[in-house]
Parts: sequence; structure tokens; C-alpha cells
Amino acid sequence: METKEQKISVRAFGMIAEKIGSAQIQLIGISTIDELRESLFDQFPDLKNMKFSIAINKQLASGNAPIPADSEIALLPPFSGG
Amino acid sequence: METKRTPKNIFVQGAISPDSIAKSIANHSTKTDIGGHSIFLGQVRSDEKPEGKVIAIDYSAYEEMALEKAFEIREAIFAKYPLSCMHIYHSLGEVKAGEICLFVFTSSKHRKAAMDACDELVERIKAELPVWGKEILDSENHVWKVNT
Repeated sequence: METKEQKISVRAFGMIAEKIGSAQIQLIGISTIDELRESLFDQFPDLKNMKFSIAINKQLASGNAPIPADSEIALLPPFSGG
Repeated sequence: METKRTPKNIFVQGAISPDSIAKSIANHSTKTDIGGHSIFLGQVRSDEKPEGKVIAIDYSAYEEMALEKAFEIREAIFAKYPLSCMHIYHSLGEVKAGEICLFVFTSSKHRKAAMDACDELVERIKAELPVWGKEILDSENHVWKVNT
């Protein structure tokens, strides 16, 4: 199944980047938001206690949205600009 | 004449200088249909936290998304209010306590539209732009800013 093998690039910002120790990670075999969360919580259990939203190609994702191939995923902690 | 607007860079490296704000005001002197400007300036506040006193905020952003979002907000505000001009500048990187980190500037024929638009812009910028402030403390620790 080709979609299961897709490699996605995940960018992290703010306190999420600080917690995972990197501003960018690669994940393989992720095709939905639920799979993404599961994979992240597996690798970085601390994220379970943190609030963050997820953007797919610069759009905030809701629910268990599908992640198309070659998407740019971003993990966004609560915004605090201004 | 309808001109097509495209996303503009809103980010400024470091603090926004009072000089650049003065220049921006002066640039409008030729636009004589304007009757009122409204300006909001965000300044880094030296909060006392249990972990230490805030001496600066280090701003970071998901820039590509923030610029798209800023453009979307800009278009919505232009559609809602009869504005002549709108400018948004937000700092990235380190801004010391007492320095300016956000400059929002709206102009219109009459004051009410400029004031209401400015207010709504500031609220939307703070709530919707993927920008983060890391508060640098005098204790060499840091905490992540929380918007209220």
C-alpha cells in the first residue's frame, strides 16, 4: 500500500519544538491526523500533556483529516504573538 | 480602479523603531482623502513571573502560514470597513522590554472605521497568526508567553 509508506515532513514550533528537541522531523507511514498523533505520542510522550493544533499545508486541520502525500505538516502550540 | 492585492511581508527583524513609525505616519500626508488614523503599538512588558522578571521576548513564527493568514485577515477587514490604508508590522527575534513588537495602522475618511478596523485587526492578529513569544527572564530561564 503506497499511501502507508509515504514520508511526511513535520515542522514544530515554539514549546513543541523545544520539547521534541528539533524544528523538523520526518515520519513514515502516516496518512491521517490520528496516525500522526499516535506516532508523535509514541516518540514524544510529553506531547500528550501539551496543547497544540496541527496544520496540513498551512491550513489548520480538524478531526481525523487525511494527510495527502508530500504534505507539509506543522505542530502549532497556542499562538502568542503581539 | 480595483488593484489586486498580494500577501505582503509583515515581519520585521527585532524591535520596530519609533522612527519607522513616524515615517509611516508621514508617508500618508499626500493621501488627502484620509480624515483619521488609528494606531496600535504593542510593547514588550516586563512581567514579574515566579521564575524571574521578563527582560525580552524572542518571537518566532511559521512565517509562510502567518503571511497567508495575515493576507486573509487583511482582505476580510478591507471588505468590512471603508479603509484607505492598512499596515501591519510584527517583530521576529528578540525585542527588549520597553520596545515595540507590533504596529498596526489603519486609515480612513472618518475615524470610526479606522478605530474599529484597528481594534479588530489587533484581536485577530493575536488570535490567528502562528507566532510565538518566548519570554526571556533575568534568571536566564525562559517561559512561553500566553495570550489572554
